Amino acid sequence: MISRRTLLRGAGCSLGLPWLEAMAATPGAKPPVRMAFLYMPNGVNVANWFPKEKGRNFDLPKTLTPLAPLKDQITVFSNLWNANSKGGDGHYVKEAAILTCQTIRKTQGTDMANGVSVDQFAAKTVKNETPLPSLELGVTPVAIGVDAVVGYTRVYGSHIAWSDPATPLARELNPRSVFERLYRAASGQQADAAKLDTLLLDRVLGDAKRLRAQLGVADQIRIDEYLSLMRQLEERVKRASAGQQRTWKARAPIDMKDAPADRPSDHAEHCRLMLDMMALAFQTDTTRVSTLMFGNSVSNVSFRWLEGVSAGHHDVSHHQNEADKLRQYQLINEWHVGQFAYLLNRLKSMQEGESTVLDNSMVLFASALCDGNKHDPHKLPLVLGGCGGGRIDSGQHLVYGEDSPLSNLYVSMLDAFGAPVERFADSTGPAAGVLKG
Amino acid sequence: MLDVTSCGKIASSMKALWLLPVLCSAAFALEFDAAQRQLKKYCVACHSDANPVGGFKLSVVATQESFSTQSRRWTSLANRVRNFEMPPKGAPAPALEEREEITKWIDSSLHQAACATGPGAGPSPIRRLNRDEYAATIRDLLDIHLDLAKFLPIDGGGGEGFDNAAETLSLSPLHTEKYLDAAKFIMDYASREYKSRMKIFTAPAASKILANFLPRAFRRPVSLAEQKPYEELYAIARKQGQTHEEAIFFTLRAVLVSPMFLFRAEAPNYTGAERPVDQHALASRISYFLWGSMPDELLTDLAATGRLSDPEVLQQITKRMLRSDRSLSFAVRFTDQWLHIRELNGEKAPDAKLFPEYAKDEELSGDIRNQPSLYFRELLVRNRPVLDLIDSTHTVGSSNLEKHFGLKLPLDPGRRKQPQWTELPKDSNRGGVLGMPAVLAVSSYPYRTSPVLRGAWVLEAILGTPPPPPPPNVPSLEEPQPGHAKTIRERLARHRENPTCAGCHSRIDGIGFALDNYDAIGRWRKEDAGKPIDASGELNDGTKMTGPDGLKQVLLNRKDLFVRHLTAKMLGYALGRGLTLKDSCTVDAIAAEVKQNGYSMHSLVSGIVLSQPFRMQSPTPGKETVKR
Repeated sequence: MISRRTLLRGAGCSLGLPWLEAMAATPGAKPPVRMAFLYMPNGVNVANWFPKEKGRNFDLPKTLTPLAPLKDQITVFSNLWNANSKGGDGHYVKEAAILTCQTIRKTQGTDMANGVSVDQFAAKTVKNETPLPSLELGVTPVAIGVDAVVGYTRVYGSHIAWSDPATPLARELNPRSVFERLYRAASGQQADAAKLDTLLLDRVLGDAKRLRAQLGVADQIRIDEYLSLMRQLEERVKRASAGQQRTWKARAPIDMKDAPADRPSDHAEHCRLMLDMMALAFQTDTTRVSTLMFGNSVSNVSFRWLEGVSAGHHDVSHHQNEADKLRQYQLINEWHVGQFAYLLNRLKSMQEGESTVLDNSMVLFASALCDGNKHDPHKLPLVLGGCGGGRIDSGQHLVYGEDSPLSNLYVSMLDAFGAPVERFADSTGPAAGVLKG
Repeated sequence: MLDVTSCGKIASSMKALWLLPVLCSAAFALEFDAAQRQLKKYCVACHSDANPVGGFKLSVVATQESFSTQSRRWTSLANRVRNFEMPPKGAPAPALEEREEITKWIDSSLHQAACATGPGAGPSPIRRLNRDEYAATIRDLLDIHLDLAKFLPIDGGGGEGFDNAAETLSLSPLHTEKYLDAAKFIMDYASREYKSRMKIFTAPAASKILANFLPRAFRRPVSLAEQKPYEELYAIARKQGQTHEEAIFFTLRAVLVSPMFLFRAEAPNYTGAERPVDQHALASRISYFLWGSMPDELLTDLAATGRLSDPEVLQQITKRMLRSDRSLSFAVRFTDQWLHIRELNGEKAPDAKLFPEYAKDEELSGDIRNQPSLYFRELLVRNRPVLDLIDSTHTVGSSNLEKHFGLKLPLDPGRRKQPQWTELPKDSNRGGVLGMPAVLAVSSYPYRTSPVLRGAWVLEAILGTPPPPPPPNVPSLEEPQPGHAKTIRERLARHRENPTCAGCHSRIDGIGFALDNYDAIGRWRKEDAGKPIDASGELNDGTKMTGPDGLKQVLLNRKDLFVRHLTAKMLGYALGRGLTLKDSCTVDAIAAEVKQNGYSMHSLVSGIVLSQPFRMQSPTPGKETVKR
């Protein structure tokens, strides 16, 4: 007899979970859907990225080979672009907008404006269901200052998650801190301690209201931000108290002895540990939404540690069609895809009931440029991993009409996430073929 | 219209300007009507009244008056032209020289219009304490030494490029969570520290304790009504069975999460006119500027007695504050961001395989990273001329740096390892920031030097005239191409033959060549890859120079530009916000004063402290004016 699991393993999501769900013993116990974005700076070596064939029978091009064992659980996209990121400079405009699909305002800071990013849109719809509304991760610190040459604050280039047009979300860089944060969030507090925290937060909310009343209108906006975030925190503290009202339960245990090292030894290890943290957050259901940036906009992190590479990331991306640079560019791309594959495999190894966490996740690997040499937001390199709770019709290379909106893919992903919208930014509808049926 | 005599004054006050003589003879010949004709020529096809693409009609900027009434339009127009965004690809476009002539004319006209009515205070928005300020404030509030930096997310930067810019200090859920955690951590720690307890338990009764603590934490007098809720919180905690001490520490946790602690806000000014800022707010302004932390007792007393705003007092207090150990924080935060030294801990960290001496020797790399800020602080404390930043007979050295430089320094024999102010031998090539390994490394790739990066770094950080971004699809400049010229110098020369590249690279490359004797971690070298170094360079005006000394002479010939840029940077840091057009008049005035005072560091810092935007407060806009 063939077990359901074997069947699934062989067929990726294409046989899929609706069938599985129909067989499930407890209907209502459907695992939650998770959504993540992995962002790679500086675009790709185009020649080795896009599969030649469309549909289900496609060969993985060289750069995507780390995904070979997962081929039927990924979806490769061609011809999606981000129209609102076409003007402006070569990087910030593209990269800050990868999840917002808006045009950022050119500023050194006084009047930052982007949109709400798709991950935050999703996070808002489930914020009361998990201890953390979302998890923003990075491996390089915020780029400091302003780029005086192009006139943008580097805050734009250091954030892809935006909770509102003027608010980029700070990222956690230290894997150990992320672990401790997940641990604390998952274990909750003693009822007494939570009660005290609530009292304390009540008190400071009172101060905030008092302060707000004393301020000019422009300054009030900052305090409104504070008020709203502190109220959210208070809510979370209440929900996380170990008392009876806690309905959330960790879907897997977190053990303090698995805490990662404080200081990763190198870039590669750092990335791995952050991906482990994302996987752990999803497995335990501490959050359902996460983003990771492999680097900031215009990242020139040196990849000389990678065999065959002799320069920094951004340098190599300006390959000028020189064979040697293109070769190095491809190697850097492939290394990133390897990280993506690592995460997908981790999620796949995490069983939940009859499915795996990967079956119930959507992880989009994206760069905001196609060819780094051209600063080009057409035909973006995008690969979606996972089955989105059985909704994603994976195992295909989907080729759209030239310049189809990236935001359409986000409409489809939000739908699979359980947060359907009619429009997202400049979308014209769902991206055809992504979802089943 | 402009004449040549006023040209120097205006020109020296402009930001995007490189060659004054050229500019004054040629660019300033551009008069209003001629400039308008140029704009019409390139822009009106798409920005006519009948069909204004993007909603922009050229006619709104057709009058002299528009420099006052449409300054934002003009600024954005100039930026878009400067950055090759306009005219769009494919449309007829001005050549680089013509482009710059137009943007310089706009800059100077805007500046003139803004300064016609004199300087102004400008905005002083509410701001969150950034990570460093938070940590330093906790240190001074509780007399505690804790590594709090890792608790909080790193802040981005804005304005003039600093992480204390009010506008980019936004708040994330991560922050609020960390503030709550940090408050607990801090108070748990303080409860076990004798010194902290002394700061807290100044009286037996809770109400007295709070009456002493709250004004320090909020950096201003606190009313009974404001204190009451904290007393209530204490009472609740007591009712829950906490001891007096536990309840105090719990209550103080709340203080550390309060927006009154976490934010610096100034009471709005509804008088309709500029006024001196509230004394306690002024104490915070100066304290966060020069110490990166809360005001001390003296500042608080002076504020309470209304004497702080007296210019005499401010000047005295500024000197005293610079002498204090705490001014190190200003030196470090200002210098490391201004000169981009922070990047040495990130992307610009020298490649560990190629430069194991840097990566493995933490003492050496520490001395290298600290040298610019320690040097800056010495200049502050010793009141040296700001021009010592360009060239100097002294530096900060240590036995490690001595070895790195390949020099003998007259270090104090008792503490040779300790970085210290020291005299440089003649012809050391180490005077000023351009001789510092940290600067030379941060303006290189982690794995090799680049004349282009070095040249661009000097243009931006020292002169404040960053080159425009490379136009899209430019050919690679530096990498070897099979069958082509081999050295970087030869390759760059070839590319300067291309007129598209020459416009900017004729400004950039020569500067970089002059620094070619320094390797990517700032060691002196006579040859590179077996070939002797040729440190000669030429600028676009034909100026020839050789080596770092030649370059420093060129920079000193442009010292007004440098002083103005440094002033703008420091004013931006002091105000914690981006500068406005109006502020550029303040910058002019301070820079002129600095020049009159022999370029002394103190005249720069006190010029800033005594400036209108630093001491005064603008009228706060009412509800109607703020709505966008």
